[in-house]
Amino acid sequence: MNITAIGISHHTAAVGVREAFSLPGDLAGRLLRALKNDGVLQEALVLDTCNRTEVYFVCAKCDDPLGYLLGHIARLKGMADISDTSAFYVHRGIAAVTHVFRVAAGLESQIVGEHQILGQLKAAYRLACEVGTTHFFMNKLLHWAFRVGKRAQNETELGRGSASVAQAAVELAQQVFSTLEGKSVMLVGAGETGALAAKALVRCGTGNVIVANRNIDRARTVAEGLRTLNPQEAEALGLEDAVNRCPALRKLMEESPLQQSVSFDSQAITLEQVPDFVGGVDLIICATGAPDMVLTGERITKSLAKSNRSVLIVDIAVPRDADPKLDRLPNVFLYNIDDLDQLVARNIASRQLEVPRVEAIIADELSSFRSWYDSLQVTPTIKLLRKHFSEIQAAEIKQQANRFRQTDQEQLEQFTRSLCNKILHRPIAFLRSLSEETSISDRQAAVDMIRKAFGLDGPEDRQ
Amino acid sequence: MDIALTFAEWLLPLMYMALVIDYGVTFFLRVRAHACNRALPLIILFHAAFLALRGVRLGHPPLFNGFDVLSVIALSTTAVYYAVERVGKDRRTGLFVFLIVFLAQYTSSVFLSHAAGEGEVWQVAEEGWRSVHSVVATFAYTSLALAGVYGALHLVGRRNLKRHNIGLLFDRLPPLEVLGRACWYAILAGLVFMTVSVATGVLMAFWTTHTGPMPLKIIAKIVIGSITWVICASAVAGKSLGKWNDSRVAVVAAGGFLMVAILLVASLALS
Repeated sequence: MNITAIGISHHTAAVGVREAFSLPGDLAGRLLRALKNDGVLQEALVLDTCNRTEVYFVCAKCDDPLGYLLGHIARLKGMADISDTSAFYVHRGIAAVTHVFRVAAGLESQIVGEHQILGQLKAAYRLACEVGTTHFFMNKLLHWAFRVGKRAQNETELGRGSASVAQAAVELAQQVFSTLEGKSVMLVGAGETGALAAKALVRCGTGNVIVANRNIDRARTVAEGLRTLNPQEAEALGLEDAVNRCPALRKLMEESPLQQSVSFDSQAITLEQVPDFVGGVDLIICATGAPDMVLTGERITKSLAKSNRSVLIVDIAVPRDADPKLDRLPNVFLYNIDDLDQLVARNIASRQLEVPRVEAIIADELSSFRSWYDSLQVTPTIKLLRKHFSEIQAAEIKQQANRFRQTDQEQLEQFTRSLCNKILHRPIAFLRSLSEETSISDRQAAVDMIRKAFGLDGPEDRQ
Repeated sequence: MDIALTFAEWLLPLMYMALVIDYGVTFFLRVRAHACNRALPLIILFHAAFLALRGVRLGHPPLFNGFDVLSVIALSTTAVYYAVERVGKDRRTGLFVFLIVFLAQYTSSVFLSHAAGEGEVWQVAEEGWRSVHSVVATFAYTSLALAGVYGALHLVGRRNLKRHNIGLLFDRLPPLEVLGRACWYAILAGLVFMTVSVATGVLMAFWTTHTGPMPLKIIAKIVIGSITWVICASAVAGKSLGKWNDSRVAVVAAGGFLMVAILLVASLALS
């Protein structure tokens, strides 16, 4: 296998070093174009995320691929020659395939099992397709990697459970309510984490949001800000995880993608008005910076007690905003920051337990991939082609045997053999003509086409 | 026919045991949580065929022996659960439902052969009205059983959330609201079925001329049926008029089911 993966990631380098080599904006596309123009690499793909910058490429004869790539990156970023390459890793052949499968499955991610990486890998593949640096092998490899990622998501619990406080708030809400669609949310305070949690809930379909703050203008600004979500916030929330697990949410997200502005009813109120509104909401997120409790007192307690609905209060403020006594009300579920941290820690620990299952999936797919790759050699394909026709010939003779006299049997066999040889002549001559000068990708594509055309792969091998 | 019946009688508990294991795997290992069980319709058909065959063998519907009724309850619970699973696409509660179904069918299979003598058959009916009455009552008990299971799960889930017990059940149970809604629908169905059953029972009482004292079994049936109706009606009235929340309905459903189950077992034992 002539595939190589070269990269730098959070495993090998600190953020300061990674930043120097990252390829944000159109730099990844420019690198791919430069590599294409050079003509040294036959196929290439650049994956650039917050935690990794990697280049996957197919090259038959590369003496110093790392030096070659770093030279390009240095020129692109206007850096001096890069002498220290200790932070970079190089995987060749099946090790490179294993690596891309592990990346797609989320095993190499900083938070093991996060699903964002699969989307980023798809985006990287799209870019490479646009530039025209992917051909037969890379196409096959990437689609195989996407399948590994999907299997890891669907067949294991690797990405299950929240890995951030904001996500934990959504997870808790999903334990209480069958759907968040149409539920009312009250955000008390204008803290960043609270707003992020409210954004996550809004994107799960909550219908009405009330923002309470000491300053009513600030409350209005926060309420308006909930409608949009920047890419960093989307990544921090890991909302895809929740969406992937919930078909209803998935449908909702298809109609309203994560980063698209969402519409809902919003209302800005002052903290003094909270007791008047608290009885009509399903979820309350407290995130003020107030030194004293905000959600306390007889009026609040009475309003909540009178409410016939279950109310989830997520208090992520320190010092706490919600009076712990509220938890004594039968319809109130009060969770503070420690509870949420406990939930996050437990989820991250349980993700680690799923790693062996994902590794088994990767081993399984690697075995299939290797079988497929081995099938792309010219000589075994010619042998298989001959065997295939020989079997057809034998089966036909056996089937038609009764229609011919014994004396004609030999002639029948000679005739059919000759016919098969004539049919096979051109395909075999074509396969033999695929010389070493033909690019690997073209040769493999031709072999793959012949195998598919003559049905040489079993149904289970066809991808 | 007798050999086939005996074979099916012992195969059914094994089948339900297999379902308990299958749903146990879903519950504990969190696999296939949203997939429908393809074996369920086959088991329902097999069970229905068994009861039909038994009806042919007895010469009347297999409803008039306590242990036959347990088997019918097992079947109707499975059928109702299958419908719920198809609609809700959630099989995380199956373990709890099939534990009850298994116990009902196991008890039925163990005692059925001993209670199959003609003399022990409940002389309830040869008439169509009485068959309707019994079938509808069976569905009512099934609905109450399901309401009880969902109610109990709701209470357990609620207790866990209140205690911030983020453990096994936190991950594996469906949301509290889903359990509450399932319990509500089941108890609503229970009220409808039991009302029809009571109405047909009252009509039969008018039309039948009694000679001598009423048999104890019939008195027990009337008492248990009335209690079941009161339980369902109070939960429905409480939720609709008194604005009870899901938890209160769940308490009534779970407690009511427990009480009715104890009374049914006691009446079977006494008869």
